Amino acid sequence: MLPEQGGPVELKALVQNQNRCTACGACAALCPYIYAVREKVAVIYPCGLAEGNCYRVCPRTPTDLGELDRRVFGAPRTDHVLGEHSAIYFSRARDSEIGARAQYGGTVTALLAFLLQQGRIDAALAVRGNGAALPEPAVAATAEDLLACAGSKYSACPSLSALPQAVREGRRRLAVVGRPCQVTALRKMQGLAQEQQFSRLPAAKLDLFVIGLFCFWALTPGFYGFLAEKAGPEEIWKVDIPVEGLKITFTSGKELLVPVDEARPFIRPACPECFDPTAELADVSVGSTEYDPAWNTLVVRTAAGRALVEEARAAGVIELRPYPEERLPILRRAAFNKKLRVLNTQTGDGYLRLSGEYREQLLRQGGNNG
Amino acid sequence: MSITGVRTDQPGQAVLLTGNEAVARGALEAGVGFASSYPGSPTAEVLSILGRLAAEFNLYAEWSINEIVALEGAAAASFAGVRALAVMKPDGLNVAADFLTTLSMSGTGSGLVIFVGDDPHAHSSIKEEDSRYLARLAHVPVLEPATVAEAKEMVKAAFELSETLQHPVIVRGVTRICHASGKVTLGELPPRKKKPFFGKDQRFLTDPGAVAIYHQRQEEKLRRAAEMGEEMPFNRYEGPAGAELLVIGCGPAFLYAREAVEILGLTDRAGLLKLGLTWPLPEKLVLGRLRSAKKVIFAEEIEPVLEENVISLAARHWPAVGKLSFYGKSSGHVAGPGGPGIGELNVDIMVKALAAVAGLPVPEPAAPELIAGEGAASPAQGPPPFAPVPVIDRELAFCPGCPHRASFWAVRAALELDGRHGFVTGDIGCYTLGLGRTGYYLLRTAHCMGASVGVASGLSKLARLGFSQPVVAMIGDSTFFHAAVPALIDARYNQARFLCVVLDNGTTAMTGHQPHPGMGVNAMGEKVPAVAIEEVVAGLGIPFTIQDPYDIKTTTRVVYDLLQQNRLHVLVLRRECALVAARKTKKARVYVDQERCLGDACGCMRFCSRVFSCPACIWDAGAGKARIDETICTGCGVCAANCPQQAIIVEGVE
Repeated sequence: MLPEQGGPVELKALVQNQNRCTACGACAALCPYIYAVREKVAVIYPCGLAEGNCYRVCPRTPTDLGELDRRVFGAPRTDHVLGEHSAIYFSRARDSEIGARAQYGGTVTALLAFLLQQGRIDAALAVRGNGAALPEPAVAATAEDLLACAGSKYSACPSLSALPQAVREGRRRLAVVGRPCQVTALRKMQGLAQEQQFSRLPAAKLDLFVIGLFCFWALTPGFYGFLAEKAGPEEIWKVDIPVEGLKITFTSGKELLVPVDEARPFIRPACPECFDPTAELADVSVGSTEYDPAWNTLVVRTAAGRALVEEARAAGVIELRPYPEERLPILRRAAFNKKLRVLNTQTGDGYLRLSGEYREQLLRQGGNNG
Repeated sequence: MSITGVRTDQPGQAVLLTGNEAVARGALEAGVGFASSYPGSPTAEVLSILGRLAAEFNLYAEWSINEIVALEGAAAASFAGVRALAVMKPDGLNVAADFLTTLSMSGTGSGLVIFVGDDPHAHSSIKEEDSRYLARLAHVPVLEPATVAEAKEMVKAAFELSETLQHPVIVRGVTRICHASGKVTLGELPPRKKKPFFGKDQRFLTDPGAVAIYHQRQEEKLRRAAEMGEEMPFNRYEGPAGAELLVIGCGPAFLYAREAVEILGLTDRAGLLKLGLTWPLPEKLVLGRLRSAKKVIFAEEIEPVLEENVISLAARHWPAVGKLSFYGKSSGHVAGPGGPGIGELNVDIMVKALAAVAGLPVPEPAAPELIAGEGAASPAQGPPPFAPVPVIDRELAFCPGCPHRASFWAVRAALELDGRHGFVTGDIGCYTLGLGRTGYYLLRTAHCMGASVGVASGLSKLARLGFSQPVVAMIGDSTFFHAAVPALIDARYNQARFLCVVLDNGTTAMTGHQPHPGMGVNAMGEKVPAVAIEEVVAGLGIPFTIQDPYDIKTTTRVVYDLLQQNRLHVLVLRRECALVAARKTKKARVYVDQERCLGDACGCMRFCSRVFSCPACIWDAGAGKARIDETICTGCGVCAANCPQQAIIVEGVE
């Protein structure tokens, strides 16, 4: 059973050593005793504290979803399957350069570029790489930096560990792009900063706009060895996992389609425990459409998210389309099924703290949907 | 260090020299033409001095790659008619032992002296080894100076003895000879040496077909040495004739015993037999004193070599010497706090031992005499009360700014990240400190020069039996050249898979920054082509990476990545020794922003001062915040990378 409070000893024993670490990088951002390298996060030296923020911010330590909803949205959620949101769109970048570099519609890059260009953020915390090799965290402060971060990565870069770099560089207004686990960690950190007055936390020193990414699982770094084996002498230009399988595009223009089951052994062991495939606590969430590769799914969640999307559309930075009615049940079903798998497999040592009402609502809304 | 005293050409003049300087001077007075050494405490300064004086005195001096090469070189000079001195510590004599044991069979030409500095109490060693056992094993005579002045005379005499016997001779010093200073009367400096020549009839062989002949020759030389010892001025007796209480001692321990005899008022009762030639024993001299003695007490440091040899001698002459009682290490009477044979001796230990043997009470130690100074009371008022000055106990730690600290932290981080219970095998150098708190308890084995590589290699070979822990060998640059290369060849040949980290700080730091092959300068100060570590590694066909350890985050990643490869790899962590760097670069200013540092409210648990443990990272108890001691800070800025509040500011890095 995961204790409600803990420190590095519990974090190491019950999360890191149990393969439950999502490599979000949040604990490493707080602490000189925790390092994140490649996609491994570890307590490297005992600090001596019985309880610590490392344990409190972890997305795999006890997590009260109802409380997080109240913290981010000021109220209990109304949608238990997709999380709180005010709108769902198909969206894409209007900039053709972004479109060319993007995985799908380029919405994330376009929004970040807009924020940078408007001078509303000092930098974006994102992840650099083309998906063919281990990605690296990036504090992107120029449009060029941003383009280097465009495109999906299929492994778990602990990019939150670069938060101190942003603080050190004085980039106080920061847009963070993160997987759902990373968004949860950030919200936990913000909660500690606001409610406990932990002014020492990076979240207390940074003004954050959070873009969440849809994520049903991430792969371990072993995946890159697998890719290299598949590629042989060819140079990989881009990797994608659409509905039909794992698609590797080479710089030569050739393409290789591998059954997605071959990649499944590389699924990060922490990911099947995830209850949040659509980054429900972000300001906006972005994912694929699994329908039209030129577009993204864009979920508008907070008021700040709403404002940004409106302005970006008005400025001609992104283009929006109504989310197709017939696609919505498919999205909801996918999200609900993932939650249901976790509910059905969660044992006594699970990290989720759900009220009976929350659980009931979820089952009711998910069931209605299906 | 007074090199002036060593080079002064004024026979008869008295100068103040350290023991190491006296040895160098003795060698010069003996006309030494070749000197070689691998640096090791407490003898490291001997060759430094001879190197600096090489041109002036027309001699050749070298820092050899290791001690066996040093001894082989010295022997070669001796073969060719040049007097030669090889300098080492006992650990080095072990390295040279294989050659030494055959050299004493082949014999030598011109005088060949090996100066070995034993280190009782292991002030700067991994062990307190008594080199006299090895000397005995190798059939080599041993001379032991009791004073700095005698060290000079003995080295000269050792050259004569060696040349007479055509045999190597060891002079055994200890730390309190090597590092002590004493009055030395200068002797003549001989004229220039003749040209070396390996004569056409000269042969220095060992012969597996004639081992008995060579062995007989060794024994005969030892017999002659013992005979010559009977008349040596270094062996002498002080005290009443026919003393029943006899002290036999050598080295500084003899002086402790003499002082103890005076303190106990035993000068009329106790005889003092000082031996300079401790192996082989001058048997007649010793037997002469044993005949009248009833009780014999020994004063020698580390092992009971003299004690055992004298007891054995007495046993062979029972009818002549009569009933004798022996007191020393075997009986437990001569023992410091660590036990018999452990640690150094001193006057107090000898007083206690002698008092027990003589049946006297141990006198109260005299009150310390105070030196009058500022604030001292006037003589009329008597001395001020003695107030002990509180000295803070400090543990061994890497110097401020030491690159090893960064290296050890990064390797520890990488091993923890790797999570497969990987560990580090250690080696001999400053970085042996990796075994303690300030080295983050990283070392799991520590033995001798080069052992990190062989042990890591051996462990990794257990993979076939199911061993799966990553192993990292951590070895210094000078130690790499000294002893790592054969183990690396073996590792490649026998398919070992481990990470060998070479901590390359560009010098032989531990012993005082002596040059090594990687530095591009030799013992005589001449510029020579440097042997790059990576060239050696590349030549062995082993892949390598070079990284600056000051960049802790990158170094951690590099080590982590290399661990994932599970193969033989050499990682050179290259950053100049902070003590060397401090002499030449303008340093950055590093300070703690007192606003940003949250002190104990941070939750970092005083990471910089308590855990990272750079001596320049200190805790200001008054302010309750971290501070940098800017006096000793080298400005490396490594600590800044780890501060969770980014409170450590680095200004003006060049």
